[in-house]
Amino acid sequence: MSLLSIHGLTKRFGANEILKGVDLDVDQGEVVSVIGSSGSGKTTLLRCVNLLEDFDGGEIILDGVSIGYATENGRRRRVGERELARQRSMTGMVFQSFNLFPHLTAIGNVMLGLVKVRRMNRADATVHAMSWLNRVGLSDRAHHLPGQLSGGQQQRVAIARAFAMNPKLVLLDEITSALDPELVGEVLGTIKSLAVEGTTMLIVTHEMRFARDVSQRVVFMDGGRIAEQGPPAEIFNAPRVARLREFLGKANM
Amino acid sequence: MYSFNFGVIEANADKFLYGLALGLGLALAAIVVGTLIGLACAFATRARARLPRMLVSGYVSAIRNTPLLVIVLFAYFALPQIGIKLGKYETFIVSLAIYSGAYLTEVFRAGLLGVPKGVVDAGRAIGLTGLQVALHVISPIMLRNSLPALGSTFISLFKDTSLAAVIAIPELTYQARKLNTETFRVAEAWATASVLYLSTCLIIAAGLRQLERRFPKF
Amino acid sequence: MEGFLHELWVARWAIGQGTLLTIQVSAFSILLGSALGMLGGVGLAYGPWPLRWLIRILVDCIRGTPVLVLILASFYLLSFAGINFTAIESGLFSLTIFCAAHMAEVIRGALQSIPGAQIDAGRAIGLTFLKILTYVLLPQVARQILPVWVNTGAELVKASTLLSVIGAGELLFRTQEIIGRNFMTLEFYGFCGVIYFLINFAIERLGKVAARRFALQ
Repeated sequence: MSLLSIHGLTKRFGANEILKGVDLDVDQGEVVSVIGSSGSGKTTLLRCVNLLEDFDGGEIILDGVSIGYATENGRRRRVGERELARQRSMTGMVFQSFNLFPHLTAIGNVMLGLVKVRRMNRADATVHAMSWLNRVGLSDRAHHLPGQLSGGQQQRVAIARAFAMNPKLVLLDEITSALDPELVGEVLGTIKSLAVEGTTMLIVTHEMRFARDVSQRVVFMDGGRIAEQGPPAEIFNAPRVARLREFLGKANM
Repeated sequence: MYSFNFGVIEANADKFLYGLALGLGLALAAIVVGTLIGLACAFATRARARLPRMLVSGYVSAIRNTPLLVIVLFAYFALPQIGIKLGKYETFIVSLAIYSGAYLTEVFRAGLLGVPKGVVDAGRAIGLTGLQVALHVISPIMLRNSLPALGSTFISLFKDTSLAAVIAIPELTYQARKLNTETFRVAEAWATASVLYLSTCLIIAAGLRQLERRFPKF
Repeated sequence: MEGFLHELWVARWAIGQGTLLTIQVSAFSILLGSALGMLGGVGLAYGPWPLRWLIRILVDCIRGTPVLVLILASFYLLSFAGINFTAIESGLFSLTIFCAAHMAEVIRGALQSIPGAQIDAGRAIGLTFLKILTYVLLPQVARQILPVWVNTGAELVKASTLLSVIGAGELLFRTQEIIGRNFMTLEFYGFCGVIYFLINFAIERLGKVAARRFALQ
């Protein structure tokens, strides 16, 4: 059974339809990359899965439970704030612009969710957070504020913050787009090492080489729909849809 | 020719210092209450409903456009007529708190605008509830953003405590005026009051700069 | 209510005169204060160091002292020094120097935010410093400080109430006289509060209109 099932997802901003019925299944332990030009709806898809955006139609089933909305007497309504927060905590998210809490140190960033959401005591949370900072290679920066870290280091803290919550699914939203080219490698390397361990991930990326290396399946989105999907070898070497061929032609590999 | 005689000041040094301390105490009490008002109002402006937003903007606009002295006199002389009786200290603190609350609402509102949206998303993404995000993510960033303006508001509140003299609260201005009329040491009385106000303001400002350095801007 | 309206009618001239004096005092001090403040601001930004220090000390002393203390001190001190100012005159004096010190600081900040390259560019085409100031720097400063200037105007209207303490017959003092006669404390303090609100609200609105006009050009 799939860990994540998205059926007929639609989303509009005013008159602008961003998602026009997306169906996607992600299996337990699978790493799926989503590629496509900007405006194709990739980021919005990710934000819907983490319930940061509400969506207009369709459903998202995570680990057998429909999330974000409940149906009561035939009427669809957004679930309450507490339940929303609980459902969000099952997925982790890493953002393009890091979005670290600027007033907390690296370890403070990782610990906040552990203490306030997972209700760990501070001692356990410290040990756990430290072990994650260690895995992303930043145990020596644990007590630095985000402002004192490089972009690559900040993004690795953000990765530790997401993974330390032990989420069922991790969403990565163009995590290297805001980085200087020489810092991209360290961040992607970190993700590759985590992918080997069987965490389920849904990755939106512009880095085609990374998508090819890290994922078992690549999904190409175009105009709010999934236009083609398959194993990386097929997608990159034998694209069937014309739009995908065009896209890959423009993207530098 | 006027000959200076600071002996009078020396003899009354304790009164001046008492007046100074009283002014600082009034300002401190007012800014504590004013901060609570300002925080509540600033968060209320983020509410989805229109009513709280309208109430807050009405309060801010009414207070900012009314002289503090009129507010103080109204509270001191007029409110007892409709059965609200407070002592003069309480009256002054409440007036100054309500007055500063309007300015602090603006200060904190600007501070809130400086909280990046992405950081709020990140807080929600790890599963914090709206209240937890407000408490652990938005508030600390907003308070740091507001620190310089909060400090200068405190300095002007301290200067505004001179108005307490008008309702016979024996703070620094009251003491200077009293000495002026009792001894006719005009220059000495006002020079002393000015120097005390000025040096206190400078010391507070220096302390604030230290505080800002302690908590670097994000 | 009827009693209040009657008293209001009786007091109409006193209130009118008080309001007029409040507006006159505020207008005088914002105009003269701004002119002095401009000189002070230019001196702070570009003056030779002895002048800069002198202005700096004056500005800081005035800004570090409460307006009420400025008013009381000049009221008592000036007459003591043999200058026979009326209450209104010493009030005008202190509000003007308060405004000047405040504006000097604001104008200094605005001048220093203009890139120095503009002065070089002005020199390069052969303008004297005075001409650079008049035609290049001050027009930009004027636009930049407009909101603060309008706000200072409203602050001065509020500060003018402090003149009642030394017995100048502006609106608050007139109101206190009226209350001394009819004891309608709530009504007349409330009424004068409303007049102040309306004056300042009008200033605020005018400021917004002016800012929009300016921005369009």
